[in-house]
Amino acid sequence: MLFPTLAFAVFFLFVYLVSWSLDRENGRRKLFLLLASWFFYAQWDWRFVGLLIASAVLNWGVAALIVRSDRAGRRKLWVGLGVAANLIILGFFKYYGFFVEQAVDLLAQFGWERDLPLLQVVLPVGISFFTFQGISYVVDVYRGKTAPAESLLDVMLLMSFFPHLVAGPIVRASDLLPQFARVPRLTREMATHGLLLIVWGLFKKTVIASELATRLVDPVFFDPSAYGAIDIAAAVYAYAVQIYCDFSAYSDMAIGIAALLGYSFPRNFDQPYRAASMQAFWRRWHISLSSWLRDYLYVPLGGGRKGLWSSCLNVMITMLLGGLWHGAAWTFVAWGALHGGAQVVERLGRAVAGDRKVIPTWLGVLITFHVVCVGWILFRAETFDLAMQMLVGLGRFETFSLVTPFVLALIVGGLAMHGLPPRAVEGLAERLKTAPSPTLGIMIGAAILLVEAMRPEGVAPFIYFQF
Amino acid sequence: MSDPKDPIDPFPTQAHPPVSPFPPLDPPSDWNSGADAHDLPTRENALVALGRFAFPPAPALDEEGAASRARRWTSQTLFVVCAFLMIFNAGSVQNWARQQPPGWGQSTVDRLATVWVEQLELLGADLPVEGLRQAWREFQAARFDGRTDVSD
Repeated sequence: MLFPTLAFAVFFLFVYLVSWSLDRENGRRKLFLLLASWFFYAQWDWRFVGLLIASAVLNWGVAALIVRSDRAGRRKLWVGLGVAANLIILGFFKYYGFFVEQAVDLLAQFGWERDLPLLQVVLPVGISFFTFQGISYVVDVYRGKTAPAESLLDVMLLMSFFPHLVAGPIVRASDLLPQFARVPRLTREMATHGLLLIVWGLFKKTVIASELATRLVDPVFFDPSAYGAIDIAAAVYAYAVQIYCDFSAYSDMAIGIAALLGYSFPRNFDQPYRAASMQAFWRRWHISLSSWLRDYLYVPLGGGRKGLWSSCLNVMITMLLGGLWHGAAWTFVAWGALHGGAQVVERLGRAVAGDRKVIPTWLGVLITFHVVCVGWILFRAETFDLAMQMLVGLGRFETFSLVTPFVLALIVGGLAMHGLPPRAVEGLAERLKTAPSPTLGIMIGAAILLVEAMRPEGVAPFIYFQF
Repeated sequence: MSDPKDPIDPFPTQAHPPVSPFPPLDPPSDWNSGADAHDLPTRENALVALGRFAFPPAPALDEEGAASRARRWTSQTLFVVCAFLMIFNAGSVQNWARQQPPGWGQSTVDRLATVWVEQLELLGADLPVEGLRQAWREFQAARFDGRTDVSD
């Protein structure tokens, strides 16, 4: 059940009406939201609802054991076991096939031809997101940064809440558990903001991302050898716009849907292509993941506390694992290495130049954007061979066949979004919150009708569902 | 009136307060230089007073009351959105119904949506959206060499 579908709209309206009719009973309301979330998840594969429940029980139990342990060593043991258990779940479902294949190849190189047990493990949608949430909950309880959940119900809802379940944002326990303590209070501002985010997300996903994918990105990345430099360069820029519009649309809609149910999620994107450095890019792109990696990987590794070279090494490790988080393929590892390497270069540059501004901001934005685009080639290409064909094709000047005024307008429009005021949707919500409900309703309805008139038929799954 | 002691006052009118040529009053004057005639209590319009007496304003809402009102407002907004889309975007309902497995419910929704779409067409109410859709398709089909792609 995808967000931009009629089936989801009907499901959401039902959840909205029933959940607010239970506003005097917080426990029942949460239970209803949990059941609705499981129903939502079961639309992909009902068997994995059990995995979701098991994962929540595991993290709730480990957190309870941590709280009840009075010895530091035992607390450390429990947190270590909890994190390991989460990683084993993630590792089995997401990386089992990948690592077995690597092991077979490695053994074959040493002359050991072995038939290792290859299983076709189905990847549960959203597993990377809910296991990371589970890890953050256990670690935060261990660190004393968040109080343990009042009940198992809270942990289950934290991990299963349908707006963020399948593609984030990764909402931490410290953000959501306090909101579960009582029935949330809806404000006009939240509701208006939520509605605008849903419409804006709908536009970005169904009009910009879908059109760019089908008209330019998919054909070029499928067979780069058939196209010239202009088509390939346009496809790379188009993919930069597509992935931003696709993923930020999901985040916007998730934040908007949660807001209409009274819950507040953290922002996940902040005009990332405005970044003038790779470090700044990661403060604007998939913020919930980058802050997660910072707090639960980079800082525990030592962060920047042990000097320049140590911080460079830690950034590299963090970005490599961040790349692997996206998918079990070497192209994702290479993507992480590119981002890590670029950040290492920046750090070394800052160490040499100090506080002096070496390049103007506009040039920094341009360079950062193009480094990110090179990374998107690795991210999108199915294999290294196809990625290399894309790069080689950038030097092959032929007539273009796929670049049209329409596609160009979508690319330019997608990039021009980054020129909007940083809090444009919030500003608009602030203005519209005083409007009478029929006026706002007609405005929102007309906006959706406009999007419906422009969108192609059908809707492809969001890119981040595969992660 | 600018305050001469105020360092951020851009146009200080006087460096020092004027020295009065008259001896100080005893007892001191009760003249209030900061008072404004508009501050004085005015007589309320009798009709307004009567209205306020007959229909006293509701007490200020507490947090729960404000949240309840916001919820009602949001629900009304969502209702209007749904009604608007049901009226003007019945084509989506029709498409959705045609993708469902056949059955009594599916055929009922499909027929209702089909009749409604046809009635809107008779009324011409679909023209704005169809016009926009047509313009959008033409834009999609345009090429840099001036031709249009027939596949679009």
